[in-house]
Amino acid sequence: MKVLVTNDKLCIGCRLCEDVCSQAWYKGINRGKSSIRIDSLGNADWAMAVCNQCGQCIEVCPTQALSRDKTGVVRLKKDLCVGCLSCVGFCPTLTMYYHPDHVEPIKCIACGLCAKECPAGALSIQEL
Amino acid sequence: MFAPQTPKERVEAIQSAHRVLAALRYEPQPVSRGYAGRTLHVDVSASQVSIKPVDDWMRDTFIGGRGFDLWLLWNAVTGATRWDSPENEIVISSGPIGGITQYPGTGKSIAATISPLTHTVVDSNVGGYFGPLLKFAGFDAIEVQGIAPEEVIVFIDGNQGVIQILAAPEESVNSNEIAEEMVAVFAQSPAEKQGITSVSAGVGSEHTLIGCLNFSFWDPRRQLARLKQAGRGGIGTVLRKKRIKALVVKYTGLKGDSNGPADLDQIQRTGAKMHREIYERDPIMFTMRLDGTNHLTKIMNDYDILPVHNFRYGAHPDAHHIYSEHFQKYFDYSAPDGCWYGCTLACAKVATGLELRSGPLKGQSVTVDGPEYETVAGIGANCGIWDAHAVLEANFYCDAYGIDTISFGTGVAFVMECFEAGVLNKEITGGLDLHFGNGDAMLELLHQMGRGEGFGCIAGQGIRRMKEIFARQYGADPAFLQDIGMEAKGLEYSEYVTKESLAQQGGYGLANKGPQHDEAWLIFMDAVNNQIPTFEDKAEALHYFPMWRTWFGINGLCKLPWNDVEPGDNRTRYQGMDAAKVPEHVDNYVQLFTAMTGRTDVKTGDDLVRLSEVVYNFQRLFNLKMGFGTRDHDAIPYRSAGPVTDTEYESRAERYDGQLRAQVGLDPEGLTTSEKRLALRRYREEQYEKLIDAVYARRGWDRDGVPTLETARSLGIDIPEVVRLIEQHAATGD
Amino acid sequence: MITVNDRWELEWKPGLTVRDTLASLGFTHTVVVVSINGLLIPPGDYDGQPLADGDSVKVIHIIGGG
Repeated sequence: MKVLVTNDKLCIGCRLCEDVCSQAWYKGINRGKSSIRIDSLGNADWAMAVCNQCGQCIEVCPTQALSRDKTGVVRLKKDLCVGCLSCVGFCPTLTMYYHPDHVEPIKCIACGLCAKECPAGALSIQEL
Repeated sequence: MFAPQTPKERVEAIQSAHRVLAALRYEPQPVSRGYAGRTLHVDVSASQVSIKPVDDWMRDTFIGGRGFDLWLLWNAVTGATRWDSPENEIVISSGPIGGITQYPGTGKSIAATISPLTHTVVDSNVGGYFGPLLKFAGFDAIEVQGIAPEEVIVFIDGNQGVIQILAAPEESVNSNEIAEEMVAVFAQSPAEKQGITSVSAGVGSEHTLIGCLNFSFWDPRRQLARLKQAGRGGIGTVLRKKRIKALVVKYTGLKGDSNGPADLDQIQRTGAKMHREIYERDPIMFTMRLDGTNHLTKIMNDYDILPVHNFRYGAHPDAHHIYSEHFQKYFDYSAPDGCWYGCTLACAKVATGLELRSGPLKGQSVTVDGPEYETVAGIGANCGIWDAHAVLEANFYCDAYGIDTISFGTGVAFVMECFEAGVLNKEITGGLDLHFGNGDAMLELLHQMGRGEGFGCIAGQGIRRMKEIFARQYGADPAFLQDIGMEAKGLEYSEYVTKESLAQQGGYGLANKGPQHDEAWLIFMDAVNNQIPTFEDKAEALHYFPMWRTWFGINGLCKLPWNDVEPGDNRTRYQGMDAAKVPEHVDNYVQLFTAMTGRTDVKTGDDLVRLSEVVYNFQRLFNLKMGFGTRDHDAIPYRSAGPVTDTEYESRAERYDGQLRAQVGLDPEGLTTSEKRLALRRYREEQYEKLIDAVYARRGWDRDGVPTLETARSLGIDIPEVVRLIEQHAATGD
Repeated sequence: MITVNDRWELEWKPGLTVRDTLASLGFTHTVVVVSINGLLIPPGDYDGQPLADGDSVKVIHIIGGG
């Protein structure tokens, strides 16, 4: 299964990953539309929150809009999604996001664009 | 395989037999701020379809759902209209919040009609997709009036903008079949199946007055049409009287913003927060996602509230045979079970692999939606049938035949007590041995209702008529029947023993439609927690909670997410009655309503209650219009308030003796059981009268239980016909 | 004597716990909020916390019902 792996200890809180993600997928720099969220814990410590492809959202979706693709990544089919956000509430890591500009929620699909740009080497795409 | 798919030949036979009796094209318009702004009127007598606007006054006064149903029905009928008069209507509406996907329990519809049981308006709250999809198709409500000259279906295509009345000779009548048939006939592709929803009944609705409606929704994982029931009041009987086999809506393309909300952000936030609360709290509270409402059976038995043997007792040593674990083995947990998108409370259960032991489908392995607590308690406990399989089988056939499981269960319990008391015998019942516990006889009664023959058809008339028939034809003592016949206003009681809760006796006895628990559920608050000790406390609870619960029915909402799960800090932030109101959830509904409608004049829970009061009082006045709605119709059978027989008294003698001492001021020493029973009865009957005095005053009603002119005025419903009714009542006492 | 919900009276004896009280009254419901003289008692203390003679106990059952 392909997944974006994070290393909080290396993170410097620059939030470039958030910009890259929202720009790539929602055509604008907007933290609220990023699939990865960097939060400060104080003392120059950072928490990196992003989907780990656990798949628990799949069974909660009433329209079968969530499923694994060939690489094991959990993908959302927007045309099946009715925007109920059940997946948001039931995500064990609270990494399914949403924004009022869009009915469908937002999640990481392990595209790797953020990992390419991360100046601290805190992100990588791995096969688990 | 969860259910057999409709074979292709059958689909073709149904389609080729359709004839268009009426058709109307219309321009589908987007829904704005929760309203389509139009209602649909279908006259199956004249084969005419018309569209009516929703004006601002109607929208702001009646909100939607039950409110819209009542207003539309009020204008369609007169005080002389009977359930089988052509001008009677079935009206179905969801509500402004109905059809959002983000918050649990937001897909409800309310159906209303003049009931064959109560002869006044009855309303019934139901899941499934019909009301919301009807709204997205372009209509806030549908009125179906008239009696069709031949069997018809009504079909609404909300994407194409077409409404048709179709002659429908080939379709099945029973819901378990026709719901699947409608999906097969009208879906052009597998993806469209989710967009097809139907309302239907069954052959049992044709032979009884306790017919229910089944509202369908398509379950994509299990590939079957699931059924939720608008159970109460005989609305299925009215549907079949009109020769309507189904109402069908087709609408594809719904999304979380299909309602055109004023503030999607707020709706998303409130919804996501609530999903998380359910994720964390449901597993440690009532396990709705696991058991549905079946978790209640054990609790009711432990607290002596489970109806046993026609509400005689509140517990039984064999009750554990029908606790939730005995149904879990049938439940299929492979997919989410909300009856509308986004309901994470997911209380709907589907039982599979039930091999039927009786009836026309004997030997087949079937799928059943349910059971609900009411069905388990009514058909199981109340009839002394401690058999999960029999309960599920009865549930299946009740749904298929279109029969209300509550009226069936409470009705059969009444029949069984009459049989054991010698009021009925095998000659009268056609050989059926209707002792408590006889599950086979119970099922045979049900099949007789399906076939339209035998004693089952007498049982299917409902308790009020059975009392009259048994007294007149079999020489039964009418006073005894009145005491044990658990009906009020003509509707059978739902499944809770209220003997130790005066507040709940009022909750049932004062409910506008009849004794249904969606009015108020105060038993624990009253009898166990003792949180409403005085008459004033009870009157306040019997004002707040029925008004608050009306809110759900006027917005297209389910009440379960309100208090069948609570935020973790509810009982530390709030105490007592405040906590019982679950303030954070009340705030959620304020947020949802204002975010949907954009109304800035609504700010608190009290504002929502105020809006509900309008509809509640209007329904009371509707009862008055139909010749009811006064104090004498709020009477309750004594079985709901205390021990009718010496045996019942003796079964809880210590409790009752203690109450005689403490509450009545009577020393039970030296008195016979009869003397004690009668003394307690006098006291309890007085208590009920005092209670309703206090409730009427709190609600702004006169001593006869009629809303005063001032109350009607302050609620904005002092329309000329209402003023006339109130003045007439004041003048004549009628 | 201890009172429960201002309705039931139970005989007090030394060492009587919340758990004992719930058991005597047949209060099997698992979702309850217990307080003694207005002070909330967490479930972890139902076995440990001894009641005093004259205590007023509240056992508020949380249940949504039908």
